[in-house]
Amino acid sequence: MRRLGPWLLGVAALAAVPLFVRTSFFLHVCILVFMWTLLGAAWNVLGGFAGQVSFGHAALFGVGSYATIILYLKAGIAPWWGIPLGGVAAAAVSMPIGLLCFRLRGPYFSLSTLAMAEIVRVVALNWEWATNGPVGFLITALPPLRILGREVNWESKEPFYAVAAILALMALVSTALLKRSRLGAYLAAIREDEDGAEAVGIDTVRSKVLTLALSAFLAGLGGGFYAFYFRYVDPDTVLGIGLSIEMVLIAIVGGLGTLGGPFIGALFLTTIGEAVRERIQVGHLIFYGLFMMLVIRFLPEGIWGRAYRFLARRQAGVPRHGAA
Amino acid sequence: MEAFVQSLVSGVLTGALYAMIGVGLTVVFGVMRIINLAHGEMVMLGMFGAFWGHTLWHVDPFISLLLWAPLMFAAGMLIYRLLLRKIIPGGELNTLLYTAGLSLLVANLALFIWTGDYRTISLSYAMLPMRLLGIVVPVPLAIAFGLAVIITGALQLFLARTDMGRAIRATSQNTEAAILMGIDVEKVAVVTFGLGTALAGAAGVLLAPSLYLYPTVGEILIVKCFVVVVLGGLGSVPGAIAGGILLGVVESLGAVYASTAYKDGIGFLIFLLVLLYRPSGLFGVGKS
Amino acid sequence: MRNLGLSILALSAILSSSPALAQTLKIGAPQPMTGPDAPFGDKFKKAYSMAVEEINAAGGVNGRKLEVIIEDHQAKNALAATVAEKLITQEKVLAMTGGRASGQAVEIASVCQRLKTPYLVDHPSADIITAKGFEWVFRNNPTGSIYPQGFNAFIAEFPGAMPKSAAVVYDNTVFGKTIAAAITKNLKSKGVPVVVDEAYPLNSLDFKPLMTKVKAANPDFLLMVAVATTDAILLTRHAKEIGVKPRAFVGFGGGFGVADFATQLGPAAQNVFSSAAWSGNPNDPKTKAFYEKFQKKYGIYPKEHEVEGYASIYIIADALKRAKLTGNVEADRDEVRKALLATDMTTVFGKVKFGSWTGPAGDHYTNQNIYSPEHSVLAQWRDGKLLNVWPKAYAETAPVFPEKVAER
Repeated sequence: MRRLGPWLLGVAALAAVPLFVRTSFFLHVCILVFMWTLLGAAWNVLGGFAGQVSFGHAALFGVGSYATIILYLKAGIAPWWGIPLGGVAAAAVSMPIGLLCFRLRGPYFSLSTLAMAEIVRVVALNWEWATNGPVGFLITALPPLRILGREVNWESKEPFYAVAAILALMALVSTALLKRSRLGAYLAAIREDEDGAEAVGIDTVRSKVLTLALSAFLAGLGGGFYAFYFRYVDPDTVLGIGLSIEMVLIAIVGGLGTLGGPFIGALFLTTIGEAVRERIQVGHLIFYGLFMMLVIRFLPEGIWGRAYRFLARRQAGVPRHGAA
Repeated sequence: MEAFVQSLVSGVLTGALYAMIGVGLTVVFGVMRIINLAHGEMVMLGMFGAFWGHTLWHVDPFISLLLWAPLMFAAGMLIYRLLLRKIIPGGELNTLLYTAGLSLLVANLALFIWTGDYRTISLSYAMLPMRLLGIVVPVPLAIAFGLAVIITGALQLFLARTDMGRAIRATSQNTEAAILMGIDVEKVAVVTFGLGTALAGAAGVLLAPSLYLYPTVGEILIVKCFVVVVLGGLGSVPGAIAGGILLGVVESLGAVYASTAYKDGIGFLIFLLVLLYRPSGLFGVGKS
Repeated sequence: MRNLGLSILALSAILSSSPALAQTLKIGAPQPMTGPDAPFGDKFKKAYSMAVEEINAAGGVNGRKLEVIIEDHQAKNALAATVAEKLITQEKVLAMTGGRASGQAVEIASVCQRLKTPYLVDHPSADIITAKGFEWVFRNNPTGSIYPQGFNAFIAEFPGAMPKSAAVVYDNTVFGKTIAAAITKNLKSKGVPVVVDEAYPLNSLDFKPLMTKVKAANPDFLLMVAVATTDAILLTRHAKEIGVKPRAFVGFGGGFGVADFATQLGPAAQNVFSSAAWSGNPNDPKTKAFYEKFQKKYGIYPKEHEVEGYASIYIIADALKRAKLTGNVEADRDEVRKALLATDMTTVFGKVKFGSWTGPAGDHYTNQNIYSPEHSVLAQWRDGKLLNVWPKAYAETAPVFPEKVAER
């Protein structure tokens, strides 16, 4: 993206928010938006850029969650190391999953990821020696930390806001870098026509596995952050299929394969979800399902994709109702 | 020995119902290459149809099949016409995701309207199970099994002997050739989707007296359905029947002789293994 | 809409009153109001409403009206944390209760501990909630490991009731595992062989294979743990269909005590034991009055959930009455906490006093109701009615034991 200006402005605005808004609940919602941006971006790397639709990303999130919380509670490793390690653990786990599942194409790949994620969940539920089974893990106190001479207050939202914002930004930046890299070009080819890509000499297996590793790393970071912020991890929460579906939703509603899509998707769905939950007392999932259908039918590029295209045409001076 | 036979019988009976659910999905896939993730919700709607028919109008669920099957058929045709037709050209994945959205919508709408309370249908003639040679056979399950056999038999006849049936099979085998032979593929698609939905609804009606009803039951059923359909080979009706029974038996024996806690995991494992190593199904009759 | 209405009411109450002391006293209660757990959230809503109405009609708490603000958490842990934060930081509640399921309650407890707001657990049973040394968290109801005490007392005290062998089946949840572990620990300490110890996935559709396995082991007692009502009913039905013939069927979990259990199973429910946290001490006139009043108001008889919710409001109200409230939210919350620590009262649910002690599974509890072990009662289904049978002090009738197994 040539125009870095607006992006830097956006980042500065986000950084300034906690200075002006003190309501802890508002900051909490922002943290949720950042976390979902991270997860949406993670899924987007595999689903949007590589065209491999996964219904099992919860498994990677969950591995990150458990890794971070176990490393802290059992080995005393502080979460700021634990979260990246969680990402690494998720990436490591993704390798065998990828090697197995990438033999399949299209919907078969998707279904196989669903099966894998459920297997991981059933195992986590039953291997009590490793995961404490359904009881899960609870962090009661975070380690003390001093930054710039000041003790960090874990009871306030600011530290978590900062971490979440940084993680979300990292995710968006890495997807931007990916898009312009050679791997990104390979992925575009694979997405359009996998056999054709093979024919041209692209090592599709290697590309897909690498992409999955990146996607898993980001999802694992998200999982680690979840453990760090919400402090309680159990199999149904971090490995449930609902989580996988929400990640897909965010990426699609926001815009498959776009850079800003995950952020818009996260923003949109989080705010709608909160509003619906509070005011209408109707299951917000009804709207999620409806939006998924509406977006695929009318806005296949997602909200961001559509808006971006609209703005780009305005910029280029194309008349609004001219021939597309 | 008795435990083994009992386990086998239970497995076959349950398996037949899994098969009925799977048959609808596989027929739709065979013709249209759609994996309908909302299939579980259609079964759920059939279950609730039977429930409301029994509770409000005192109609025996098995009899209400005559009402719900045609209704679901019509509903299926409408869903295809109004919703899916424009989505399908967008590709398999788009359709998959669209039906995922539809599944979320229908399940949660049902949850909102009918609440999450669990419901059952109690049939006066079905309180005590039958005992045949010392093996316990619950009555509603036995009736459902019998009807399922009849329905799938009728389906097979339909596909083999009628013009529309043949048209469906032809389109399923090779869409382009079917078009060339003058088959109205669009009509076939509408009928097939209606058929798949009707079969799902029928499976739901048959299952209702044996199971618990709640709006999100589709989640569990769709997963079993995938395993069945993949085991038997996507697109193959006899394959789905065999796959269903096989899954029922494996789950039953697995729970008795291995562990109940991992019961669900067993199904997924089989699913994965078949997908990876025998993608055309255990019997090699599926399409990939 | 209800929450919006309640919030507007609360807001106008605050805005329209001049002196700070005339404000309503707010209690926050996250509950599942939508989603599959919604029926339970509804039970608590009814219970809380009835308690609040009664208290306000009797003059409120030191002249101030009580208010319970319920927020929907849809049975999701992260949402429970979100909603708890909202109630504490936006609504500025003085105390919290509710939660419903253990996973959500753990999150709420964690939030309340960090944000220094008293949380009175009314129903969630996971031991860890009061076993982590959280001084802001209190619990009135029994924990999972205390749950089976009524049954443990029965087999130890009733002549001939010690099982010669037992099959224990339970769901793969915190609830199921904790209770099953407590049961098997007690049985093993009495030298009873546990011939089947199986976990089943929650919301299983079919228990026939499991019961086939149980039948083959021919246990003397069949002990079933189920957190979901459907599992409770299906377990019993399939056990009887397959032909398991123990001297006693014992169920642990709310589902074994609801009216549906008897209506769905018909004669198959006869003589099934149900171990629950409260079956209502029928010998107490206050309990009887509560029972009838609830039925008249809502058309259903209250069970475990309703009475726990109702009692928790009374406990909090009692603490609020004794607390020195100044209008400074942080200070007031601490006063409420101190008042809760000094609680010594009797509610419809039973006696309440919070203390730190060690539970039967070795957990070190903080602020757990010291009378909890007494609250566990064993009841039995007789002709469609659930009647307490043990301990004798709460019994409505004598237990029918052993099960006369007729050949079918």
